[in-house]
Amino acid sequence: MPNRVIPFMKTKSDTTPTKDWQAMFRDWAQEAPEGPLKRYYEAGTIAMDTPLKDVPMLALDLETTGLDSRTDEIISVGSVPMDHRIIRCNGSGYWMAKPECSLNPESVTIHEITHTELEEAPRLHHIFENILEALSNKVVVVHCVAIERQFLLEASLKIYGFPLYFPVLDTMDIERKYHTKLPWWKRIIGKKPSLRLDACRQYYHLPRYKAHHALTDALSSAELLQAQIAYHMDATNDPISKYWL
Amino acid sequence: MDVELTEIVEALCQHAPFNEIADDPSLNDMVKEVEIQYVRTGEWVIERGTLNNTLFFIRSGAVEVLNKNGKLIRRMNEGELFGYGSLLRGGKSSQSMRAIEDSLFYRIPARWFLKLYEESDTFSDFFELDRETRLKAAMDSQTSDVSLMTCPIKSLLRRDPIGIDVGESIRQAAQMMTEHRVSSLLIMENEQLVGIVTDRDLRTRAVAEGLAYDTPIKAIMTKNPTVMDSGDYAAEAVLKMMELNIHHIPIVKDHKTIGVLSTGDIIQKESHGSIYLISDILKQTDVDGLKAISRKMTHTFTQLVVADANTQMIGNAMSHIGTAFVKRLLQLGEEQFGKPPVPYCFIALGSQAREEQTIKTDQDNAIILSNRYDPEKHGEYFEQLSHWVCQGLDQCGYPLCTGDVMASNTLWRQPLSVWKNYFSEWIQEPKAEALLHLSIFFDLRGIYGDKLLANELNKHIRQEAKNHSGFLSYMARNANQRKPPLGFFRQFVLDGEGKQSRTFNLKERGIAPIIDIVRVHALACGSDKLNTIERIADIEAAKLLPDGRARDLALALEMIGMVRISSQKDQIENGEEPTNHVNPELLSSFEKRHLRDAFHIVSRQQEFIKFRYAGKRS
Repeated sequence: MPNRVIPFMKTKSDTTPTKDWQAMFRDWAQEAPEGPLKRYYEAGTIAMDTPLKDVPMLALDLETTGLDSRTDEIISVGSVPMDHRIIRCNGSGYWMAKPECSLNPESVTIHEITHTELEEAPRLHHIFENILEALSNKVVVVHCVAIERQFLLEASLKIYGFPLYFPVLDTMDIERKYHTKLPWWKRIIGKKPSLRLDACRQYYHLPRYKAHHALTDALSSAELLQAQIAYHMDATNDPISKYWL
Repeated sequence: MDVELTEIVEALCQHAPFNEIADDPSLNDMVKEVEIQYVRTGEWVIERGTLNNTLFFIRSGAVEVLNKNGKLIRRMNEGELFGYGSLLRGGKSSQSMRAIEDSLFYRIPARWFLKLYEESDTFSDFFELDRETRLKAAMDSQTSDVSLMTCPIKSLLRRDPIGIDVGESIRQAAQMMTEHRVSSLLIMENEQLVGIVTDRDLRTRAVAEGLAYDTPIKAIMTKNPTVMDSGDYAAEAVLKMMELNIHHIPIVKDHKTIGVLSTGDIIQKESHGSIYLISDILKQTDVDGLKAISRKMTHTFTQLVVADANTQMIGNAMSHIGTAFVKRLLQLGEEQFGKPPVPYCFIALGSQAREEQTIKTDQDNAIILSNRYDPEKHGEYFEQLSHWVCQGLDQCGYPLCTGDVMASNTLWRQPLSVWKNYFSEWIQEPKAEALLHLSIFFDLRGIYGDKLLANELNKHIRQEAKNHSGFLSYMARNANQRKPPLGFFRQFVLDGEGKQSRTFNLKERGIAPIIDIVRVHALACGSDKLNTIERIADIEAAKLLPDGRARDLALALEMIGMVRISSQKDQIENGEEPTNHVNPELLSSFEKRHLRDAFHIVSRQQEFIKFRYAGKRS
């Protein structure tokens, strides 16, 4: 286990945005065991003063058997590369993984993935290297950072004995920030705004999508981030450190 | 790893032209190269003069297209495409596109667009840049022979079946067929159909074989003939006849033979029920009888629309029916008030004169009297007769003209010499305002009485118009008074200035402007035709317009006219009064798309006549 304590794991989203992911990646590259994960850290990540417009991003979504990263498992992963303005379907990824434990029938109905499909899928450790490749050099875009971060960290610990970390732009966190910027009277009068992905998308007049397919959900958060950038951010002048977690 | 971007494929395939090629497996490969872009309200998507290399699909939101002068060209919403103009021309965009709502675009790379454009005709037709060609292709795709598809066999049967017992002789069968004037005979046994005999059977199986006339009919009948159900579609009967090479099919309903469908019946169907309606009209002996028939008019109209008759056929049928009413009313009037003391001609004006009447039109008519007319002596007779006709027409569903352009108005019931003076004055000293209301008089057809009077007046009009070119420029300006809309946006009609409204008048803003344009050209080339399509043929022959442009007007007229009649048909079926107003929400995307092209043709041709007949303002 690394001795460094990761600040984001304990703090809330209003952490002072000064994390130097580039430096942290250099440290982890030293500590990680030989293999794919070490190569991932060696490839590094962008500097914290990189303006938003130059940030390579990857929208990511996981579907899991449940919400507890210690007992539940990843069953599918969807990813779409993007930047502040364009989402590129070319390069998108979708993987399914056969879980170790038997499936909970409830979660299956949520994900529209059938038992048969999962039966035929490879185990997570067989595809993890592909996921690392997709993540390499990217800032990860997710809606609600906790799930993706925890599950991938647990999985990496299981597979490599060393955690997987990555910088994140969390569209839910961004939305929370801009919603709390509402005038005080609106915050008092209005009911608490929903921060669910679908609700956030509607604030920006984005179309309704069918939820709970990893690739569609990745697309959903990708589009949401574009809208948030268009509305709230200065892609030319704002450094990534202002937003990443 | 199989990446399926179903969300994107499904969104694309809900709209033309992708819905047409939804089965194409390469679509899945295409969407893998789609890019997605979010643009806020007010921001530019494509700026004029910049290089564009993608086809834009509006996934959500809306876009406004502006030309080089910043003038609004159109507005587009979800499911519409733009950017293909510059892709097809392989260069910079000639227009600017701006998001007028927060919008999400799917950007399809040029490479894929061009590949599909090459490979699929339905796909490439959609992007045809030339509006005229596009409209023509659309109209061609609509003209199909589906009239028989939509009518059940029972509607074609004209008489009860004629049958004979199976035990009778050939001679008796032939006598029976002669007596009932039928070309086929059903052979019955214990009230059950067991066979059929036709004219041809008598010839080939009896006479040619030298059978004795007292041979039982059973010997030559076709046993257990193919039958069809009265509820089957006529089109199925046609196919069956072709397949079996037969000309008669017994028709059954609830196991009972109710008639025989022959090829002749099907040919009859094609020449429409309106002919029967007209002979019915001419048989009536009083206004009540005519009134009763007039109630069937809407039915005849909807039948014609359902049978896929084009606007020209419908206009023609409705005008002839209208003329039949006038004719019969005048005959009845002459019976009542006596023979006319001097010759006269009853004339139809406007749509009836052009033979372009639809359902529910006001009456517009007049009377030309012989120059021997003496108001002192003959005035009362024609006053009575004209009121009789106009009131009668009103009762038969042709309401009195609100502008009082009717034979019952003394102003419009004058001797030929007065009529000639009217027109000379209108033509020699045109007043723009007055002409707008008078343009109806320039479509004038004699429909009853001494038609030479009408012909002579028409000749006079053509002569005067030819000699006074200033008149044409007034008419051209008049034809520019009513502008067609720019197109549609969501459930609205969009005007040039960006104004949006919920409904619009198809006649006022589409059909009338075309008729006006064509009338100007027709007067310019001295055409003696009245029907707009026929006038267009004369204009084309006279080469007044650049090649093909005259025919574009006919296309636009047909497109707009079709939408009008089908919307009137729907109104009738919903129990509403048919009107010329159309609610864009009820239009299909096909109709909206091609109406837009038709409107564009009309605007351009309006511009054209302004310059073509630019006269000095007096």
